[in-house]
Amino acid sequence: MLHAKAIHAGVLLLGLMATRLGAQTPAPPPNTGGPNPPAKKTAPPGLPPEVLKLLGVAPPEDPAAVERGTKEFVTNCAFCHGSSATGGEGGPDLVRSVLVMHDEKGDKIGPVILQGRPQKGMPKFPMSQAQIADISAFLHAQIQKTGNRMSYEIRNVITGDPHAGEAYFTGAGKCNTCHSPNGDLAGIANKYDAVTLQSRFLYPKTFTFPGMPAVGPPPPPTKVMVTLSSGESFSGTLKHVDNFSVSLYDSSGEYHSWLLDRNPGIKVEIHDPLAAHIALLQKYSDTDMHNVLAYLETLK
Amino acid sequence: MKPFRHLASASFFAVSLLGQGLDSALLLKAPTDTWPTYNGDYSGRRYSTLSQIDTANVRNLTLAWVYRAVTGGGNFFGAQVKSTPLEVNGVLYFTVPDHAWAVDARTGRELWHYKWESKGGIHIGNRGVGIYGNWLYFETPDCHLISLNIKDGKERWNTEICDLKEHYFASVAPILIRNHVLVGVSGDDLDVPGYLESRDPETGQLQWRWNTEPKPGEPGSETWPNQEAMSHGGGMTWMPGTYDPELNLYYLGTGNPQPVMAGKGRGGDDLYTESIVALNPDTGKLAWYFQPSPHDTHDWDAVQTPVLFDGEFNGEKRKLLAQASRNGYFFVLDRTNGQHLLTKPFIETNWAKEIDARGRPMRDLKKDPASDGTLVSPSSGGATNWPPPSYSPDTGLFYVSAEKSYSVFYLTDLGDKPEGWGGVDKDAWSESYLRAIDYKTGEIRWSHDWGSSGFALSGLLSTAGKLLFSGDISGNFMALDAASGDILWHVNLNANVSNGPMSYELDGSQYLVVGVGDSLYAFTLPRR
Repeated sequence: MLHAKAIHAGVLLLGLMATRLGAQTPAPPPNTGGPNPPAKKTAPPGLPPEVLKLLGVAPPEDPAAVERGTKEFVTNCAFCHGSSATGGEGGPDLVRSVLVMHDEKGDKIGPVILQGRPQKGMPKFPMSQAQIADISAFLHAQIQKTGNRMSYEIRNVITGDPHAGEAYFTGAGKCNTCHSPNGDLAGIANKYDAVTLQSRFLYPKTFTFPGMPAVGPPPPPTKVMVTLSSGESFSGTLKHVDNFSVSLYDSSGEYHSWLLDRNPGIKVEIHDPLAAHIALLQKYSDTDMHNVLAYLETLK
Repeated sequence: MKPFRHLASASFFAVSLLGQGLDSALLLKAPTDTWPTYNGDYSGRRYSTLSQIDTANVRNLTLAWVYRAVTGGGNFFGAQVKSTPLEVNGVLYFTVPDHAWAVDARTGRELWHYKWESKGGIHIGNRGVGIYGNWLYFETPDCHLISLNIKDGKERWNTEICDLKEHYFASVAPILIRNHVLVGVSGDDLDVPGYLESRDPETGQLQWRWNTEPKPGEPGSETWPNQEAMSHGGGMTWMPGTYDPELNLYYLGTGNPQPVMAGKGRGGDDLYTESIVALNPDTGKLAWYFQPSPHDTHDWDAVQTPVLFDGEFNGEKRKLLAQASRNGYFFVLDRTNGQHLLTKPFIETNWAKEIDARGRPMRDLKKDPASDGTLVSPSSGGATNWPPPSYSPDTGLFYVSAEKSYSVFYLTDLGDKPEGWGGVDKDAWSESYLRAIDYKTGEIRWSHDWGSSGFALSGLLSTAGKLLFSGDISGNFMALDAASGDILWHVNLNANVSNGPMSYELDGSQYLVVGVGDSLYAFTLPRR
């Protein structure tokens, strides 16, 4: 039902310059993912280790060592260097420290910890090699957390007014032309985390990194009608269109394709079911966007 | 003796394919039988004076050869040829991260393949090589500058140009000016300062270094709140620059300030990030600057090629510099002194409030990244990106692969001293274009809409055959009438153009070479 309705959301009449495309091919890797997607809600998955390596992301530190190192750091170091090691009263930032970045398992920070830096007011800390290695693991984990934006947590996303969002949904946004809170959107807030939901209502693309599973259902197919100069016409689901050709599957599943320059007078009408989403991108204020999200979050 | 040499000597036509280095005088001429530097010549116009292939015969273009770059596996992305090959004495030299090749420019047959054992770094792309005499230079993701013998691909030396541990990496095509190898650095994950270095072509030794950030007390330091922010301020030198031999100035665009999306700890314009700078290539001294994006918070590097050409502006003949910048604005400057002449958007955006008296688009603070997200156009990918633009002196048009896009920018580090990126953006939607800009007015003369299924990453080439070569986002490579934008020829190569197309003439035939994914395709006209 949704599909049939959505087709009317946008109609593009194109001649030789037919270029409206559905989201058919993968986009560049999105800056998404994260180690702990919320339970039961769909979030884009993290990238596989071989990709992370090519993106220069170091393998994670041993979590047990990081946990031990965190305690050591908070007890002994945080007073001067801050609890997140980004610097504090008197102690320098250790996350953007060249010495720490060059450290491996405590080989660079060890001498500093053991001997102190008396001229800068840092006392000696008598620690075992194991304790030093744990602090090193904690600091490298902090560096990774800071330097790997794929691991960033987006928080406090839902700030809008749900009532204003509902008014926009049924008013200026005309979202209810295609969508219904009791129909296709029933329980939508349970399906996605807030960031994914905000992305999907703006534009419900489903592709993610090549080879990774898609997030959410695919958008309704793009419909196309091709009319030849003879008057004969074909309609169906768009397979591909560019400046040179158009192709479709008709209702019986048959494939058809045409070269535009070999068919003078060819008319290509593309019904992009997501055209209303694209049009709204240019109209939303940030407040509108936040309000719509807040409203969708009530649809549990 | 290599089998290749054997074949060459056995050939009926005794053609010298190997053994000749680059005559540096060719760097000062139009690229015809040689493509001696990243952009073909120093101007960055990517304009070939060759005219054998023209608007009348381009529909007869035929495939001359294909070369597939095989890296030997292990690369999740597969080899992506983003480098523009150099062509010297009948041999093409190009790269992907950690790999360099020499390929016969007439036949597409491999002469050698060099592989670097990587210690890490970001492997998103490599822009290619620089050549000095018999020596080739390229950068690796793990921060090395490698010098190879162009005859056999044997390594002569390697030297570190950045610190991998600080999250730098290296991807730029080195530019040779006299005996200076100009090398830039990449990386903006952990708040490191950008710089450009000049290295000795014989030894790799440092000759000079220009730092993106000034030192405390120097001009420009007043655009940072404190020394710590300035010393972590970013401004990578991601792309090759351009050069005016008469003025002896090297023009370079610099990258975004860091932390990338969280500007709270670096209030001010953040010079010389996201700036076009003019440097003396003998000393590295700054002559002038212009900043397309003061205090950027959206990752819109201003590294796009500063294209040099002479032309009329307001009725006066001038030495010009033009950049279609990642922030969506087209800038024209007087390249003798950096005087601002024109600022015009080349795509719709929603982030700037006004153009200030100095010609700089000033950001709308409401469009800075926020914890609950701001909807911004363009996305962090920008209104254009690294793929090289082109300028044709025949049409007076500046051509650019452009992107209209929306993305939600989230601030993730809400502290007073953010570190790293401090935020992320989530792409919503984008649409790709090829646009022709009249440099005198900034008006869009013509535009092609390629649709919204990908990202416009095609480099461009214009020629004296009155042609413009481009890719779309549907795997087509095409020739357009450079004046009207009419598409005259195309071929579906099954993947998108991934580099800047280039052209050269050998044995009386003009070749057109384009990188598409892991392959180079060469086209020429059929022989009579």
